Amino acid sequence: MSILIDKLFSYATKFVAIAVLLLVAWIFTILFQNSIDSIEAFGFDFLTETKWAPNLEKFGALPAIYGSVVSTFLAMVLAVPLAIGVAIFLSELAPAKLKSPVGVSIELLAAIPSVIYGMWGLFYFVPIVRDIFGGIGISMLTAGIVLSIMILPFMAAVTRDAMNTTPDILKESAYALGGTKWDVIKDIIIPYAKAGIIGSFILALGRAIGETMAVTFVMGNVHKISFDLTEPATSIPVTLANEFTEADTSLYYSSLFELSLFLLVISFTIISIAKFYFLRRQRAA
Amino acid sequence: MTHTQKRIITNNIVMILSALSAIIGIGFLFWILGVLVLNGIDALSWTIFTQEGAPPGYEESGLKHALIGQLFIVGIATVVGVPLGILAGTYLSEYGQMSKLAQTVRDISDIMMSAPSIVIGAFVYAIVVAPMGHFSGWAGSIALTIIMLPIILRTTDDMLQLVPSTLREAAFALGASKYKVITQIVYRGAKAGILTGVLLGVARVAGETAPLLFTSFNDNFLNTDMSEPMASLTVTMYNYATSPYEDWQKLGWAAAFILSMFILSLNIIGRLFLLKKKGK
Amino acid sequence: MATIVTITEEKALEVKDFEFTYASADAPSIKKLTMPVAKNSITALIGPSGCGKTTLLRSFNRMHDLYSGNQYSGEIIFKGRNILTAKEDLISLRIQIGMIFQKPTAFPMSIFDNVAYGMRLQGIKNKTELQGRVEKALQDAALWNEVKDRLKHDANGLSGGQQQRLCIARAVAVEPEVLLFDEPTSALDPISTAGIEELIVELKNRVSIIIVTHNMQQAARVSDYTGFMYLGELIELGLTEEMFVTPKEKLTEEYITGKFG
Repeated sequence: MSILIDKLFSYATKFVAIAVLLLVAWIFTILFQNSIDSIEAFGFDFLTETKWAPNLEKFGALPAIYGSVVSTFLAMVLAVPLAIGVAIFLSELAPAKLKSPVGVSIELLAAIPSVIYGMWGLFYFVPIVRDIFGGIGISMLTAGIVLSIMILPFMAAVTRDAMNTTPDILKESAYALGGTKWDVIKDIIIPYAKAGIIGSFILALGRAIGETMAVTFVMGNVHKISFDLTEPATSIPVTLANEFTEADTSLYYSSLFELSLFLLVISFTIISIAKFYFLRRQRAA
Repeated sequence: MTHTQKRIITNNIVMILSALSAIIGIGFLFWILGVLVLNGIDALSWTIFTQEGAPPGYEESGLKHALIGQLFIVGIATVVGVPLGILAGTYLSEYGQMSKLAQTVRDISDIMMSAPSIVIGAFVYAIVVAPMGHFSGWAGSIALTIIMLPIILRTTDDMLQLVPSTLREAAFALGASKYKVITQIVYRGAKAGILTGVLLGVARVAGETAPLLFTSFNDNFLNTDMSEPMASLTVTMYNYATSPYEDWQKLGWAAAFILSMFILSLNIIGRLFLLKKKGK
Repeated sequence: MATIVTITEEKALEVKDFEFTYASADAPSIKKLTMPVAKNSITALIGPSGCGKTTLLRSFNRMHDLYSGNQYSGEIIFKGRNILTAKEDLISLRIQIGMIFQKPTAFPMSIFDNVAYGMRLQGIKNKTELQGRVEKALQDAALWNEVKDRLKHDANGLSGGQQQRLCIARAVAVEPEVLLFDEPTSALDPISTAGIEELIVELKNRVSIIIVTHNMQQAARVSDYTGFMYLGELIELGLTEEMFVTPKEKLTEEYITGKFG
């Protein structure tokens, strides 16, 4: 009897573990199957076509891809230096009394759902962008800024963790040779924690590119490639969030599924690079 | 100026910049928190908990429908996702260990934890909503279960691995079967850690909006039938906040406040569990 | 009061009524300690774990200042001034008083860059000068022959003993006057340990050395003076050859005969 339970339990656990793999394979398959219409209709032009006109049954993903790339790039450009600054502050500069409360509040803020960041962006940041840069305030720029603020706590916390892996004794050795704090940070801590820091940035990039709610509020969902950052724009997740419930033809649906598939493949690749190339090397070191 | 003096000046400049970026970063974050608390408390009232949604301009409107919908959707996702996640995590730590299968499941789960959640919504739309012909609470729960699964799985795996192997060996030496060792010894040893993982997993999916947009969709009134479209706090918040009506926006802030406090509390409780365990 | 032998040489350092309390502690870890350190000789600090010997060692280059909240009073005289004052320039102090740690601490850079690091911090950019001084430092550390063909390689590829000699080369390259060794061989095998000990003895012609060690034989082998510390106090400071044969204090005798510790 107990041997039977033993066997059943071990099979049950193994079954669920394998089911997780099958589930992921299933997700890819379903997204692909549903994309077939669009893939057959547009081929590779789907990714390079600039026109997204549901009424004409014409779907080109380039404006959404462009928006995803530019808003994520903006977010990274703004968040990376701030995250490094916050991480240096938390790991090397802050007095012991501040380290823990500030560190914990940063981690807690990383747990706040992105929909809240989006809502804050809409009500408090859109007017500021409108006043300073002109336009209607709903724009690529606003999306980039809100996205950067949303990924900042995550990035800062992970960068700090990576920097904290540097052994004290290594830092002390550099101080013992007459190094300043900055000397120790740039010559010892950053080289030592390099893989972890880069890994966490790429992971943040992977998350930012798939982020929906923080940007949906403030981007405008306009399928147009504009080099003016104060113009409304769209991104892949923003398009999905706005149009999935509106799609009324099978080609429209299929195009949205192809966008989903494309987004999943891109995120999967970026996150894999972060996790397996950089963060695993860090673990091995 | 000597080289050392230059170094000291560079150091001071960098340290000031670092402190400044910390102030900017933390300032932004507290700004958001402040906005949330001020608007939230301003919008809170009893009717929020007792009344359902209503057309704009209608005095007696609340979030009862969204709160209950949220409870249903997240509750069912938890009831399904947690045991499945714990089972799979148990396989990784206790049976699969360093095998190729176990490592693959770990890697894929790691990636899925950071993958865009809106894509999960699209998947569930294709396998549940489209065949059923309409949005439903079930579809929302399924989407959240899929998102929660890798989180619970990985924390369970990590926490079980922290249980010292001597504990298992001692139990095996007494003649216990593997099933008994796992359920009676290993789970007990990792209880606090698994609980923390569950709390953080629930907190994570409770804030998800994107995968619900086209699965559970929304309903302005109270509905407890999971096979029908169902309101959630997050989607309601999104719809209300993007509406042009001031009283709806206010309800949006109330929803944001309630949701954030719930998620922050789960995170804090989870941390306290871990701290208590470390303190022992 | 402690029994302190009269030192005939010039003094490299003089500790006077030094008291030290860690930020997290209620009681001082070092209590009113007074001790001279002879120039161009080796002083070993021995004593059971927690006696304060490492704490004292780390006070000489103000390592404790890296962590906030530690409190100290008294004086440590170096080159005629008290280095415990607030206006002391810690950067130049640490260049003059170098330190070697319990474990090898090769920086994440090449062998050459490791040794050149301290000099570069001081602004030396001239390539030929750097090359000359790096080679000399590596020769002084008896490492040159082993690494001369792979100076550009990552220093972490060296063995533990080689890494520790690299750290010594890095420290002597900036020509300090005092070198502090904090249990420098505790992570090394016996053969590497013998090499490091030999090196320490050779170095004393140029620098004054203080070495903290758990290993009494090591103190006996390398040092000229030995200080025995217990519960934050200096119990006895004597000539090594005398102290291990005829300790003056009862506590010292009990410790070196293995009655406690």
